[in-house]
Amino acid sequence: MTRLRVVSPAPPREEIEAAALSIRGLRKSFRSRLVLDDVDLDVRPGELVAILGANGSGKSTALRCVVGLVEPDDGSILLAGREVVGLRGDGLTASRREAAMIFQHINLVKRLTALDNVCCGGLARVPTSRSLLRMTFPDHLRQEAMRCLDRVGLADRAAERVTRLSGGQQQLIAIARALCQRASVILADEPVSALDPAAAGRVMRVLRMLAGEEGLAVAAVLHQPELAKRYADRVVGLVAGRLAFDLPPDEVDPDLLDALYAPDEQG
Amino acid sequence: MSAGTPTAREVVAPPPRLRLWSRPFLLGIPVAVALIVVHVLAWNATEISGTALVQGWHGMVDFVGQAVPPDLRWNEVVEPALRATEVTLYMGLLGTTLSIPPALLLAVLGARTTTPNVVVYQLARTLLSFLRAVPEVVFALVFVTAVGLGPFPGVLALLVHNVGVMGKLWSESIEEIDRGPVEALEVAGARRSQLVANAVVPAVAPQFVGLLLYRFDVNVRSSLVLGLVGAGGIGFLINQSISLFRFDEMLTQILIVLVLVIAVDNLSAFVRRRIA
Repeated sequence: MTRLRVVSPAPPREEIEAAALSIRGLRKSFRSRLVLDDVDLDVRPGELVAILGANGSGKSTALRCVVGLVEPDDGSILLAGREVVGLRGDGLTASRREAAMIFQHINLVKRLTALDNVCCGGLARVPTSRSLLRMTFPDHLRQEAMRCLDRVGLADRAAERVTRLSGGQQQLIAIARALCQRASVILADEPVSALDPAAAGRVMRVLRMLAGEEGLAVAAVLHQPELAKRYADRVVGLVAGRLAFDLPPDEVDPDLLDALYAPDEQG
Repeated sequence: MSAGTPTAREVVAPPPRLRLWSRPFLLGIPVAVALIVVHVLAWNATEISGTALVQGWHGMVDFVGQAVPPDLRWNEVVEPALRATEVTLYMGLLGTTLSIPPALLLAVLGARTTTPNVVVYQLARTLLSFLRAVPEVVFALVFVTAVGLGPFPGVLALLVHNVGVMGKLWSESIEEIDRGPVEALEVAGARRSQLVANAVVPAVAPQFVGLLLYRFDVNVRSSLVLGLVGAGGIGFLINQSISLFRFDEMLTQILIVLVLVIAVDNLSAFVRRRIA
């Protein structure tokens, strides 16, 4: 059995500088299980990178390392040129603003309106005294939140409680919240896994637009190779915590995908 | 017999046989024996005696005989009782509402998911346990010696004990909420106070209000007992009636209390149903 391992050569130095997110040699194990094994990944501004891989291949863990929800064992993560591995406390809080995260479970605050949820993305910029009660949120924050809602096409639902919106609309609100954070990098952890195909397409188109029009660096963990090939600029495959390929979408062929989702063949 | 019936088909694997002497069953025997032993010990220690109850029945009949009919004189009995009941209600109300800020603070500090660090968590938990462990009556005695007789020490006693109970209940509902939204705001760079105000509090608000109403209900009933140690309200009048052997007055007062308790109970149940 041939083991597929097609890795593009490491990009030259100036490309690393240009990347909004640059991961080098990332390693993480939980107990004795190695989840990430020497992973390199660059996401440049204006680019949508899809990350594919079977369950447990380390995709989500890689994203969670970037935002500091998981602490890597080794490696380097540069966010907008600054090292974030090893940051704690205020340094971590400050670095987190650079990368926004979108979750499979959407994770909106259920009892709040769409607008208030989007405002929450910008809390880091608001003094504590103005941010403990929703009615004291500054006007500029509300206006910015409205613009973010407008970007995802849901400005007309601003005053509604998010629980009254459909799953796809809720995920778009979560994207608007990420926009309101003014991050340069958007990490999406299975953003469409809980959505029907139409809603999934709508969410992917918005992510595609944010990369193309706003120049954001978008990395999305996906479980649907078709969506990856259709919307991504590059497709990255992870197998058992190792990078298996990093290719433009039209070079991702069925053999590569089969190897990605083949049952564990421990070698 | 047709070949299509399930019995005619060959079974893939027989279902596991039920075993009587399985491990859970064998473990159950010592547990059952231990429970019986504890109940026998408890029966003896609390001096439960059927004969004493039977022999003392005429005592109870006397008591009831003196209490019935209730003394319903308006100026002397009913009106003062209504006034005192009003005070009791206010004691329960203030004891509950004034305990909200300290209870909220201790609940946030004493919930694993929102506490800043382990030391603060342990301190908050210890304080909550202490306030919960000391009964209202004990606090009432302490405050009566400090500020004198009347409803004020009663309010203080209810307040302090309620901080312990409500803080504990609230911290548990904080720990039970979905971590996702909190994590999302954390990743967005929100500070701890902002997380609590914008993700935790909205998520727990319905439970918080429900528990608050439940505690109001309990506190109104507790404030009756506090009257017995001199902390004002209708409890104080009941205590007086008993010491003066005016059981007919006592019955009137108890009937008024009954109406109050049922009203508060229904109100709190109604509101809790509406917000659920």
